Amino acid sequence: MEGLTLLAAIALPIAAGALLPVVRWKGRAARDAYILCLTILTTVLATVAIFGNFPRLSLIQFNDRLSFALKLDGIGRLFAGLIALLWPLTTLYALGYMRGTQKEISFFAFFLMSYGISLGIAMSANLVTLYIFYEMLSLSTLPLVMQKGDSGSIRAGLKYLYYSLGGAAFAFIGLVYLVYFGGTTNFVPGGLFRGVAVEHTAQLRLGYLLCFLGFSVKAAVFPVHGWLPTASVAPTPVTALLHAVAVVKSGVFAILRVTYFSFGALVIRASYAQYIPLALTCFTIVFGCSMALKEKHLKRRLAYSTVSNLSYILFGALLLTGQGLAAGLLHLVFHALMKITLFLIAGVYNDRAGIHEVGELHGIGRDWPVLSAAFALGSLAMTGIPPFIGFISKWALAQAAVLSGGLLPYLGLTALLVSALLTGIYLLVPSTFIFIGRRPGNAPGTKPVETEIRISLAALTALMLAAGFFSRPLVDFITRAASGLV
Amino acid sequence: MEGMLLLIAILLPAAGALMLTLMPWLNERREDRCLFVGAILVMECVVVALVALDGQRTLVLFKMTEQLPIALRSDGTSRIFSAVMALMWTVSGFFSFSYMKHEQNEKSYYAFYLMTLASLMALTLSGTMVTMYLFFELMTFISVPMVLHTRTKEAVAAGIKYLIYSVAGATMGLMGIFILTPNISSAYFVEGGSLLAGSLTISKDAFLVVIFITLVGFGTKAGMFPMHGWLPTAHPVAPAPASAVLSGVITKAGVLCIFRMVFYVIGADFIRGTWVQWALLGCATVTVFMGSMLALREKVLKKRLAYSSVSQVSYVLCGLYMLDTMALDGALLQLVFHALTKDALFLCAGAIIFKTGITRVEEMHGLGRRMPWTMWMFAVCAISLVGIPPLGGFIAKWYIAEGALSTGAPVFSWLVPIVLLISAILTAAYLLPPSVSAFFGGMADGEAVSALPKAEPSLMMLVPIFILSLAILLLGIFPNFMIESFTRLANALM
Repeated sequence: MEGLTLLAAIALPIAAGALLPVVRWKGRAARDAYILCLTILTTVLATVAIFGNFPRLSLIQFNDRLSFALKLDGIGRLFAGLIALLWPLTTLYALGYMRGTQKEISFFAFFLMSYGISLGIAMSANLVTLYIFYEMLSLSTLPLVMQKGDSGSIRAGLKYLYYSLGGAAFAFIGLVYLVYFGGTTNFVPGGLFRGVAVEHTAQLRLGYLLCFLGFSVKAAVFPVHGWLPTASVAPTPVTALLHAVAVVKSGVFAILRVTYFSFGALVIRASYAQYIPLALTCFTIVFGCSMALKEKHLKRRLAYSTVSNLSYILFGALLLTGQGLAAGLLHLVFHALMKITLFLIAGVYNDRAGIHEVGELHGIGRDWPVLSAAFALGSLAMTGIPPFIGFISKWALAQAAVLSGGLLPYLGLTALLVSALLTGIYLLVPSTFIFIGRRPGNAPGTKPVETEIRISLAALTALMLAAGFFSRPLVDFITRAASGLV
Repeated sequence: MEGMLLLIAILLPAAGALMLTLMPWLNERREDRCLFVGAILVMECVVVALVALDGQRTLVLFKMTEQLPIALRSDGTSRIFSAVMALMWTVSGFFSFSYMKHEQNEKSYYAFYLMTLASLMALTLSGTMVTMYLFFELMTFISVPMVLHTRTKEAVAAGIKYLIYSVAGATMGLMGIFILTPNISSAYFVEGGSLLAGSLTISKDAFLVVIFITLVGFGTKAGMFPMHGWLPTAHPVAPAPASAVLSGVITKAGVLCIFRMVFYVIGADFIRGTWVQWALLGCATVTVFMGSMLALREKVLKKRLAYSSVSQVSYVLCGLYMLDTMALDGALLQLVFHALTKDALFLCAGAIIFKTGITRVEEMHGLGRRMPWTMWMFAVCAISLVGIPPLGGFIAKWYIAEGALSTGAPVFSWLVPIVLLISAILTAAYLLPPSVSAFFGGMADGEAVSALPKAEPSLMMLVPIFILSLAILLLGIFPNFMIESFTRLANALM
């Protein structure tokens, strides 16, 4: 039972989260320490799981085809590592950010549980397990979206719920197709039909498309992206970590799994099952950016930017080439680093300076020069200016598109460029105003920023900048993980 | 370490800017500040000269990924561009020591001024397409504060327009870089280009479209039609010495990128005789003509000069896109002389604003009697810009026109000289009347004008303009050493 480490990494935060409201806490310090320690402990466990080579852990056998099992492979390690890296940093931020707000305990309870569930998604050994965690993530993050408790956030929560459940239902149908025609839901590198004469190609393609459409809800692909901007009413740590990394990327991750580990590139390639998703992602890339440009609300603007960027990842992956997948995975990591930093800084603007709209950012750089410089750097990275990380992944995506050739890849390339330009406008122009504008006289004053928030932001920004210069180990790892899947 | 000098050329002004920002005592008194900035600028010129004398060098800074080296390179092209840029920057810098007295935010001005120089040096010394793209974008962002300097509504609007146009242009350029990369044999610049024309990943027609968009994109900084809209808005709102370098120097950054793409990546042979060459020549000729027409209509002196830049920089592009050795000689000559001339003209305009507050052309009547030295030099530069021998502008235009005729290209071999001629007449029409009226205007009511006080600026302002004017005159009379080195470069590239 060596593989229990995997289970421990998942179960520990879930149990710890469930325990949080039960225990009678003497003081805030003890509770904060508990939350932080358990988050870090989970990260340690996850790290052990990632670096150790644990065998597959089969927990429950539902029937001869369906089981509940855990295993970490290349892309699982990548996703788990990303989550394990960002969760403690965001928790640290959240401890400062949420201090003194209502329902603080329930917030951290669900926040901790979501950590375990997200790790579960990364560690799933088959599609059924992944599906279970996927649904659990929808449910465990729902209270986080509704945290504020006003009518707006409840509506946002319900919208999120309907979208998620609807999407999962779609995916479920696809899953049935897979089980019926493929015989198993286990993940096999390269897909179930590698080296096998494929029968029922037509049905499998339809099943794949259903799976894609279903999981694309969480990945916020047009036309099922609507929940994401609305959900930005959630507290900032949630928007930053869940709606820019964990939840949305679990959608992307699920699509990667069904594409490369279940149905396989062989079945999908050069058919409508590849072209329709590819076209949707191309459109979403431009659509998300255009909406971001139109949106005046800072957090919603960032959310639309996420819509666009998630489709970058999917676009790369759906090229169905090794390079495309590697580029997509690279963007999965890099976008997470950039967007979480931007969101968390936006949260400080939002909560500590009363800035909600982009237009109110003017001159805030005078009050918070370092914080605002970090925001500007994040914006440059998002736009894709070298030597920041955004450029590296966009470069890889563009190269993959050019090398794969054909109409849709070139359309995607154009979409990438248009999106880069629009990103430049919707993020860099505000960044300029942050420094040159003047705060209006009647603007609310700025409140002090907690040390936890400062530490967390400093770490994230440093990470984001450093990754631009020292990306080689990551690129190598991803290239290895992506090879052999096509 | 070999090639370390290249890094110093970039880091020296950057370090200067950093010290200005981080050491407040250095920035406290104007004398200290000017002394410091002046010293940095002079040292930078020395370093650039050393880099130029050092011969061809390549220095790989780091690799973002295996395929993405960030590298510096000094060669014939970088030598010309970096020398012109560093010298113009120094001369305008010295001019601004006096000029900036009447502007606000003097402290932050010099930091950005030096930073922009650093990014420009980095751009000229870039050794790969991605490095070039990196510093091209960086230069845009760093030069925006110079446009925004006065913080007026007009300046902010102009700054944003500049930013958006530049990012758009850079994005078009980036598309080219994306698509070119799998089709070239070396990530580094190679004289004569490194395109694998035999095995393109897409059809040649599609490839030509890509090249066209790329070059139009980089043409944004050079103010080439159809991406010229930002230039007349952004240049005049900056303080005069900043306008001078924006118009005289930064536009050349666009030319540099086009130069690198055409001669060091794509190769002239691939474009020669294709529709891309004709389309780009068409854009450039349209810009030459249109810029002059707009300048003629404009009454505000600095805006008129900005429109004139739109026109004059496209002379360079006309010469470049003829893809002919002699026309390229002309293009490089025009590049040097336009930088000198436009810098001097903007500085004159700055001196006029500084001493008299006059901004409009029609107010310049009789100004020649109030500030004779300034207006004399203004006239010399105007004559050079029109292209009257023996001043520098003439020789440049001569080479472009003769080069164009010698190529025998359809239509453009005669159209380019004709448009150049028309534009010269227009240039005369928009620059000579102000000079003439400055000296002879107001003769009738002479008393009223002569009653106005003398307004000659201080030597700190006059000497930089004088140096530039003298250079235009001397280099115009003795252009041979430049022509020889330009011809050597042009031959190596084609």
